[in-house]
Amino acid sequence: MPRWLGQLAPGALVIALALWGIEQAVHHGLVKRSLLPAPSDIGLVLWDLLADGQVTGPLSETLARLAIGFAIGATLGIALGLAMGYWPRLYRLFEPLIELLRPIPKAALVPALVLFLGVDNAMKITSIALAVFFPVVINTVQGARGVDPVLINTARTLGVGPFSLLRKVILPASAPFIFAGMRLSIALGLILAVISEMIAGTGGIGFLIIDMQRAFRVRQMYAWIVILAVVGYLLNFLLLLAEQRMLFWYRTTQRT
Amino acid sequence: MTKTSTSVLERARAALSRRSGILLIAALLLLWEASARSGLIVSENWPPVSIILLALIREILSGELIEVIGPTLYRFVLGYVIGISAGAIVGFTFARVPLVRRMFEPVIELLRPIPAPALIPPLVLFLGVDDLMKVTIIAVTAFFPVAINTMQGASGVEPTYLAVARTFRTRATRILMRIVVPSTLPYVLAGMRISLALALVVTVVSEMIAGSSGVGYYLVLMQYAVRSAEMYAAIFVLAALGALLNAGFVAVERRLIFWYAPQA
Repeated sequence: MPRWLGQLAPGALVIALALWGIEQAVHHGLVKRSLLPAPSDIGLVLWDLLADGQVTGPLSETLARLAIGFAIGATLGIALGLAMGYWPRLYRLFEPLIELLRPIPKAALVPALVLFLGVDNAMKITSIALAVFFPVVINTVQGARGVDPVLINTARTLGVGPFSLLRKVILPASAPFIFAGMRLSIALGLILAVISEMIAGTGGIGFLIIDMQRAFRVRQMYAWIVILAVVGYLLNFLLLLAEQRMLFWYRTTQRT
Repeated sequence: MTKTSTSVLERARAALSRRSGILLIAALLLLWEASARSGLIVSENWPPVSIILLALIREILSGELIEVIGPTLYRFVLGYVIGISAGAIVGFTFARVPLVRRMFEPVIELLRPIPAPALIPPLVLFLGVDDLMKVTIIAVTAFFPVAINTMQGASGVEPTYLAVARTFRTRATRILMRIVVPSTLPYVLAGMRISLALALVVTVVSEMIAGSSGVGYYLVLMQYAVRSAEMYAAIFVLAALGALLNAGFVAVERRLIFWYAPQA
């Protein structure tokens, strides 16, 4: 038996057994179908959603909001974080404000944002951007303040101005921290995307999950949850991949 | 300009710069107050800060605040404690027993990427809309970060220490208490801190989506009732709650792992 098979087999076996167990329990009436349909039924619904392209509408709606919100929140977070890390004055100016706003659970802002921005994209994108912003800015500041002063002084000695210093020295040196912040953020951003769609939704995966539950279309509800899980998994995977590509130098320098 | 006046000016400027953060917050609050009072922004959604603070004080005095915050805290603490305990036990078992890890890690990896709020609707079907559902979803949320971090920490114990302990025929319990637990603890605590913030979010969300009590429910209720001062007061309370929980956690963490300095 090859080594990887020995590594993977126990896990695959447990998952297969669990699915089979649930399937049997449902068929023998141990679990109500209205609570938990058989995995094969969910699979069929999932297949239908994928096959006739019903999945693309809500999926792209949720993903588009997440992408825009994430881009806004992460860009602002990185920009402010770098600036605060480089100029102590800005750090002193903004640090208390950030510490004040950070502990607010961003989901609690959704009702307030609804009042100002309505229930449409503006509100949802804003809440996603807010959720994304804080972990990114905090990690970026931490990274930018921890940059080896020798690097900065060397660059200054060579006549590098503040903006190219930020871009060419401090940004790359803080990149591992920024990525760590972004991976926390993407999970939070997805949570906020789902929540905002649940609370004030007309479309998107979050809305569908709660709508299907209220309509007692339980198989559809589970199918959408599975889709959401795949989305969450893929987003994290893509960020890890980007991190490895862009930070190929990080691991090697860490060891020395 | 005389010399003394420059130094006074400089000192004033230095003091100003040191407190610039607080001043910025004060200025923003003043701007908020002024914009609402002067009629620059006339909206029921934009009450002056002073009115919000008055609403907050009124709620504290009337005892309504305790009524609102009590259920939230109760659910949060119960769910959090269950979630992190289960996470630590599972993570530790995974690290120590490779077969168990190979068997169950894929299941965890499958369930982990599901955003916790998406699990609320199916849990409502099983457990209804009461405390049981909320405590469960909070526990599930708190579980994953602790499980993953504990697993990492417990599998990263320096093998040299274990080898040395074995050379001296140290008892297993002593190895556990003196080597394994201390080197795992910082990871467990890091996971617990991530869980803390996430669990608070999910507490509020579960009360918003399926609630009859708690801060999250109150928040949505006040929004629907267009009592925006009370709504903002509830947000202030949540911010304070989040800050207090985090500060308390950091204090405990410092005491527990006073010897641990994370690499810069």
